[in-house]
Amino acid sequence: MTTPAIEFRQVTKVYRKRLRGVEIPALTNATFSVLPGEVCAFLGPNGAGKTTSINLLMGFFYADFGEIRVLGYEPGDVRAKAHIGFLPENFAFYKYLTAKRLLRFHHALSGGRKEEAATLIPELLARVKLTGYEELKIGKYSRGMVQRLGVAQALLHDPQLLVLDEPTSGLDPTGRKDVRDLMSALRDAGKTVFLSSHLLSEVEQVCDRVIIISKGRVIQSGRMDDLLGVADRVEIRVTSLPEELEQRVVATGGTIARNEHGITLVVGVAQKREVAEAVWASGHDVVHILPLRSSLEDLYMKTVGTEGGVA
Amino acid sequence: MKLATLALSTLESFLQNRMIVLILVLAACVVLLMMFPLLNASYHTTAENQQSMASVVLEVISNVMSFVSGLGSLLAAWAAVDAVSSELKSGTVLAVMARPVKRWQFLLGKFLGVMLFMACYVGMLISVSYLLAWLGGVKIQAAPWVLLVYPLVRYSIYAALATLCATAVHPVVSMGAIFVVSILTDVVMPGTVAWYHKVAWLKTAIYYVLPSTNLLTEGRFLSLRQAAVKQTTLLEHAISLGYGLDCALIFLLLAMWAFHYRSLLRQD
Repeated sequence: MTTPAIEFRQVTKVYRKRLRGVEIPALTNATFSVLPGEVCAFLGPNGAGKTTSINLLMGFFYADFGEIRVLGYEPGDVRAKAHIGFLPENFAFYKYLTAKRLLRFHHALSGGRKEEAATLIPELLARVKLTGYEELKIGKYSRGMVQRLGVAQALLHDPQLLVLDEPTSGLDPTGRKDVRDLMSALRDAGKTVFLSSHLLSEVEQVCDRVIIISKGRVIQSGRMDDLLGVADRVEIRVTSLPEELEQRVVATGGTIARNEHGITLVVGVAQKREVAEAVWASGHDVVHILPLRSSLEDLYMKTVGTEGGVA
Repeated sequence: MKLATLALSTLESFLQNRMIVLILVLAACVVLLMMFPLLNASYHTTAENQQSMASVVLEVISNVMSFVSGLGSLLAAWAAVDAVSSELKSGTVLAVMARPVKRWQFLLGKFLGVMLFMACYVGMLISVSYLLAWLGGVKIQAAPWVLLVYPLVRYSIYAALATLCATAVHPVVSMGAIFVVSILTDVVMPGTVAWYHKVAWLKTAIYYVLPSTNLLTEGRFLSLRQAAVKQTTLLEHAISLGYGLDCALIFLLLAMWAFHYRSLLRQD
C-alpha cells in the first residue's frame, strides 16, 4: 500500500486567547490524505482552516488532537522538510537581500553546496522570469515579483512535495498561467503538489484531487473526476439544423440555442451519435461536440454554499 | 554549516538595522568626547605627578569603558530580542523553518549571530581602550584576552536571557524584564543597602538565582596596576567565566525548550 504524502487523521486545532478566555475552533476532526504524485487542491472560504492546516503540516505549531504525517514523518521533522518546498500565503523575505543572495541563503539551509548554487540559482530565476532582477534588493520588488521569487525558493532543492498557499496571489494573468504550467510540469515529473487557492477554474485545470473545507471541517474530499462526475450530456454545435431533427431533439428533452456562431444543441450522451449522424446526413457540418459535466465552481458552490467566510 | 549560515545572516541583519547603528554612533560619540580630557591629562603630566596622573587616566578610561561596555550589555540584549522577534513578526521565520532546520538550530544560529556581532563590538571596545590609554600616556596592564573574554561572557548572559524572553513574551516586555533583572542584580549584591529584615532572605535568594554580572565586568581590570592584575589567578578567572557561561547556557537551553513548543505564527 502506498504511503500518503500527506495524511491528516482526526486533527483538531483550537486557537485560545487565554487572557480573554476565548476559544476559536480552527480545525475539527479533519481527516484527509494526498497520495504521492497527486496535485491536490485545498479549497474553502476565507477562515475555513486552510492556512491552519498548512501551518500544522509544516510543523509551525501543533495540533490539539489527532495525527498528521508528512512524507511518513511527523510535521517539522527535518527528514520530511528536506523534501518539501513551501510557499507561504504572504511570502516574507529579508528586504535588504538580493534575489540571488536570498536563494543562496535558502540553498545553504537546505544543505546544498555552493558549487550547485552557482548553476541552479540562475536557472531557477530564469524559470520564474526574474532574470535581470537578480541584483536588485528584494525590498524594491513588486508584489508579483516577490511571489515569483517565493515560487523559486520553494523549488530550490527539487522537492518531492510542494505545499503552496495561494501561489497565484498578486500575479498577473501571465504569471498565473506560468504557475499553472509549472504545476502541470511538476505533476508530469511525479511531484506531489498541495495547493490552496481561491481560483477554482485554474485549480480545475491542473488538479487530480480536491479537498473542500468549511468552518474547520472537511466537507468534501476525493478525486476530481469522481467528484465532478462523468458527463451525462453533450453540447453539439452545428452550422445548420434540419427541421425534422430539431423537432426530434426538442421532443426528447434536448435544448436548442441559436446565435451568430451557429446552432448549439444540448442532448443526452445516448443521443450524441444519432444527432451528429443526422446532421451529417442532411449535408450540414458539426463544429464541435463537448461533454458537459459539473464545473469545480458548481461543486464548490453546492458544497460550501454562498456563506463565504471571514475576510 | 546551517548554524554558520544563520549566524552570518543574523549578523548581516544587524548591520542593516538603523537602531543598532544609532547605538554604535552614540558609543562612538562618548568615546570621542573623552579623548579631549585624556589629551589634556597627557599634556599636563610631569615627572613628579606621573604616578598619580597615570592612576587618574586609568580610572577615567575604566569609567568610560564601563559605560560603553554597559551599553554593550543593553545592545546584546536588544540585538537578541530583535533577532528572534523580528523574524516572528515579519514572518520570515516560516520560510526559514520550512527548510530542514531544527528549531534549536534556528535559535542557536540567532544566538551565535548576536555573539558574532558582540565580538565585533568588543573588538572595537578593546581598540578604543588601547587608543585612550595611548592618548593618556599610560599602558593598560591587563592581558588583552581578559578584556576580550570577560565582556563577551557577560554579553552572552544578556543575549541568552533576552533570547529566552523573546521566545516567550512581547519584545517590549522582554526588554523591560531584562532591565529589571539587571537592576535587581545590582540591588541584591552583598554589601549594598540592607533590605527590610523580614524580606532579607529574599535578597539572598535573588542574589543566588540571578546572574551576578558585576563579577564579569572587565572595567575592574582596566584600572588595576600590574601587581594587582597578577593577583587574579587563572583559577579565579576560570571560576568567574565558568559561572557566567553556566548562566548563559541555562538561559539558552530554557530558550530552546520554550521555542520548541511555541507557535511560529506572526505576533500581532
